Amino acid sequence: MTDVDLAVAMHGVVKIYPETQLHANDQVDLTLRKGEILCLAGENGAGKTTLMKVLYGMERPDSGTISVGGIERTITSVMDANALGIGMVQQHVMLIDDFTVAQNVVLGKEPKRFGMHLDVPRSQHLVNEVIKAHRFSIDAADKVASLAVGQKQQVEIVKMLYRDVDILILDEPTAVLTEQETEALFSTLRALANQGKSLILITHKLREIRAISDRVAIMRQGKMVGEYETATITEQDISRMMMGQSVSLDVVKPPYHRKKRPIITFKDVFVVKRNQPRPLLSHLSFSAYTGEVLGFAGVGGNGLGVLEAVLGGFLPVSTGAVFHDGKDITLRGTRRARSDGLAYVPADRLKVGSALYATVAENLIVASREQFTRFGWLQRRKIEKHADALIGTYNIRAQAFSPIGTLSGGNIQKVVLAREIDRLQDFIVFSEPTWGLDVASSRFVYDKIISLRDRGAAVILISSNLDEILALSDRVAVLCRGSISALLSPEQVAQVTKEEMGSYMLGMNQQEVRDV
Amino acid sequence: MSEALITILRSSLAIMTPLLLAATGGLFTELSGMLNIALEGLMLIGAFASIVGTALTGNPLFGILIGISGTVAVAALLGFVTLYLKSNVFITGLATNLFASGITVVLAFHLFGNKGVVVFETVQSLPRWDLPLLRDIPIISDLFNHHHVLVYLSWILLILASWVLYRTPFGMRLRAAGLHEKTLISLGLQPKRYRFIAFLISGLSCALAGAILSLNLGAFVPNITSGKGWIALVVIFLGHRRPLGLFFAALLFGFADAFSNYAQGLWNIPADFILAIPYLFTLLVMILLSVYTSRKSKFD
Amino acid sequence: MYEPQRLRRYGIQPVLRNSLGSALIVAIALFFLVLLAVLLSDTPGTTLRYFFLGPLQNTYSFGNMLNAAIPLIFGGLGISLAMRAGSFNLGGEGQLYGGAFAATIAAISWSSWGLLGGIAAVVVGALVGGVLAGFSGLLRMKWNTNELITSFLLSNVVVLIINYLIAGPYQDPETNLIATRSIPEFMRFTRILEPSNLSTGFYGALIAVLLVHVYLYHTKSGYELRMVGLNTMFARYGGINALWYRVWPMMLSGALYGLGGAVAIFGTYYTSMREFLLGMGYNGLAVALIARFRPAMVIPAALFFAYIESGARSAMMHSDVTFEIASIVQAVVFFLVTSKVFQTIGTHRRRS
Repeated sequence: MTDVDLAVAMHGVVKIYPETQLHANDQVDLTLRKGEILCLAGENGAGKTTLMKVLYGMERPDSGTISVGGIERTITSVMDANALGIGMVQQHVMLIDDFTVAQNVVLGKEPKRFGMHLDVPRSQHLVNEVIKAHRFSIDAADKVASLAVGQKQQVEIVKMLYRDVDILILDEPTAVLTEQETEALFSTLRALANQGKSLILITHKLREIRAISDRVAIMRQGKMVGEYETATITEQDISRMMMGQSVSLDVVKPPYHRKKRPIITFKDVFVVKRNQPRPLLSHLSFSAYTGEVLGFAGVGGNGLGVLEAVLGGFLPVSTGAVFHDGKDITLRGTRRARSDGLAYVPADRLKVGSALYATVAENLIVASREQFTRFGWLQRRKIEKHADALIGTYNIRAQAFSPIGTLSGGNIQKVVLAREIDRLQDFIVFSEPTWGLDVASSRFVYDKIISLRDRGAAVILISSNLDEILALSDRVAVLCRGSISALLSPEQVAQVTKEEMGSYMLGMNQQEVRDV
Repeated sequence: MSEALITILRSSLAIMTPLLLAATGGLFTELSGMLNIALEGLMLIGAFASIVGTALTGNPLFGILIGISGTVAVAALLGFVTLYLKSNVFITGLATNLFASGITVVLAFHLFGNKGVVVFETVQSLPRWDLPLLRDIPIISDLFNHHHVLVYLSWILLILASWVLYRTPFGMRLRAAGLHEKTLISLGLQPKRYRFIAFLISGLSCALAGAILSLNLGAFVPNITSGKGWIALVVIFLGHRRPLGLFFAALLFGFADAFSNYAQGLWNIPADFILAIPYLFTLLVMILLSVYTSRKSKFD
Repeated sequence: MYEPQRLRRYGIQPVLRNSLGSALIVAIALFFLVLLAVLLSDTPGTTLRYFFLGPLQNTYSFGNMLNAAIPLIFGGLGISLAMRAGSFNLGGEGQLYGGAFAATIAAISWSSWGLLGGIAAVVVGALVGGVLAGFSGLLRMKWNTNELITSFLLSNVVVLIINYLIAGPYQDPETNLIATRSIPEFMRFTRILEPSNLSTGFYGALIAVLLVHVYLYHTKSGYELRMVGLNTMFARYGGINALWYRVWPMMLSGALYGLGGAVAIFGTYYTSMREFLLGMGYNGLAVALIARFRPAMVIPAALFFAYIESGARSAMMHSDVTFEIASIVQAVVFFLVTSKVFQTIGTHRRRS
């Protein structure tokens, strides 16, 4: 097939980021046929997003060519890409909450009267037209702040369709969607393809590749491994090519013993915020026992983050009680939480778990400063020796006095883990522990979690990654709209399907929560 | 008693004008996401350049145009250093204020041989307008008629600013820059461009504000702005960053100022204390405002 | 490889990497100075000669220049401390002036207590500055009020009130100056470089630099303060009382300014004159910015500013320019000193 029949053809794209000297894209070729859905697959950091940013004009390649509709083009900005009919829906929604749907959609290509006056009625009309044509569930006059995540994504798609794109790129669109919302999105995408639009879907989810794509292009470590017809390739093949080896979240877990002592207990906890109509957490009751991993699953916005904040001491409880090994610790801020023995690996390792400009050593002692102080004086030698020891044990590629911001994500997470595990007493909280980490680092984290559990600690694991939850947890609690919609015993965890989990997570199903 | 009230209210409308003008321009920078504390310095430059221009050309219109040119030039410098050299906007604002107070004194010294008060005898006060519609209505006329031209201009400019901000693509993009600049960038638009223009607009409005101060006085006095630029900032926040709010907040400060003038004449309060009132008042307002907003949002 | 490691242990980070930007800014500032002299002066050569060499000509000028640096060092330290904690103290003018005035009045009132009274007076000066700044800090702690604006506003009020007090109730009836009475002779600091007015206060400033450096890098409280400034969420997460560090650094900051004012009185002026030391507050800010909030760097930065002011004064006396040229040069510094473009000239960040 010659280039003329292709919607997009990229040849020999090279992109090197100067700060890392890494080849984000190393001589990458990509072809996109008209009217097809192509999945661009690869692990985190494989270079998929970079390649698409090049196509969309957000990045300039160091070398390589791009042809659109058979004609070679130079794309230097997003405007250029839009002019060529290329649109992109980013992973993180880029919308202005205070504006309406119409305002967000027309921003940058506003309909005008008399050359300068913003034509508001016409904006709404045009936007509603696009919405109706694709049967979305939003209205042009809605304020974006009031929309659900799936609807916000619809706004992003409308934004692109309003600009008459023929080629649409979507970057990990299902990352924040539920199963049902994903289905709705996929039927939208199929409809668009049927209308003759060409779509590229960036993803690393094998099941979705199989479900939606005509072809799949696989990247690994900056290189294009190959393009294949989806029908002719197995999931094993895809993951092998993505990872370079057979993947399995094979976590070897020693058998689970009958529970012993409850370490952390929540009793009928409510968390209410003044400007929120619904409680953020309601009727929350559970116990985490010694020697187990208690996993909390859920879709973003349903209480996982709130639970994390309460456990970390950031958010106070409105009513109800929290106990630590029998001791009432309900009213405690972060200070008391720490003196009470909290070990906590936060979801946001950069904004909460570390201070980027401080050194590794300084990051390591933040929660246990007292141990390194004598009469108010910092014992610097002791701090440095402590840091060196932990760097050795955890195999962290850094030096004690390097600012932690110069480390890779995996190494930063190792510092956080080192610090928290080092001070662990009887329980520890992990939130989204492998977010943004590569395979090797994730393995490291999983091994640590299991070993902590075997040592007898009560491990609370909060994660939106279902694979992770189901593989690591002994028991699983599902949070939906701030309360537990299901609590699965170890036997149930071993047998539950992802569809069932999805239904609990969306509130379509509720389990009788007996055992707490 | 009510005559005193009318006098004070009338004064308020006049006194609030420089504040309103400066705040209107400052609103653009604020909505674009920049805290612009250079209003004070820009007003100072406007005051100096306008009166010097008027003295040179003999015509207040040209004088004000010269004032605008000078002030916008400094505002462009401020915008350039902040946006394209990526500096901290507070500090560059401070630098602008420092620069303005320095260069006005230096130029006054080298041009007129005087570091202090420079009187321009040939310069007349700004012309006043007698509006036919208002002339005959009793109280309304006392309050609103026969103000100098820039008072009425300030109201027109406020309405114009409101239209630009909320009814033009430029205004929408500028507000987007302040609300969520990543969105603009993802659309291929540059927040920098809108912010830079916002700085220029603030220069324009501050030039007018400063012109009022010096032209109505007929002289240039070092530190003629004496904190008005800061109060303009407070006006923006007190007015909830909306045009109508700006008007009433500026009116409030105009009233406070007018009242303290009246009080000084009436009760014998030391001049320094009178000068302190705007700052104290602003401080109080800021405290009350933050108590109010912190009560509203209790948690993280 | 070994040397930097050892230096770091004592908190003295290798200065070279970021100094290029600072040096460039100083160079540009001086360039503008030359430009101004050429444009405005009829005798630019003389002007520049007196500007650059004036402060260094003799012991008198040189000593005065060092003396002028003292309040700048205190102010620079104060701002640096506050900024390290993430707080912006813009009230230096009022804190300096308030501290100086309070110290003057206290010294006069307690002269019967001898040297003890003198020491107490200096402490009072520091306390007044600390309370003023601490008030802004308190507002920030309780209601998240912007301390930059409140400290600035309060400072303006304080300056006006003290102006009134000096010209009114506390005016010295025996002179024509608008000033208070003088402090007793035995309390005054010793001159150390006659005939200039450089006093032992200079040693005090140097000691203050040492103390602040040690506080920041060798004490637990200093560590907590720095963490709050680097990432408040992280500090709270680690159990640090972030609310306290909204107030305490401001108090220290104001106290340093107040101390600087007191030292200026005891070492140089001996009396509070109306609007003396005007502008010192902002200069302290500029010093802190050039020093990148590092205590050790405050000394050269303060000397640079004192040099500029001395040079301007000297040029003014011997030539035909006005002192306010210094403001313009300082403004140039202010414009550039936070520029990220300048800060990253010649540096490179790598990820491991």
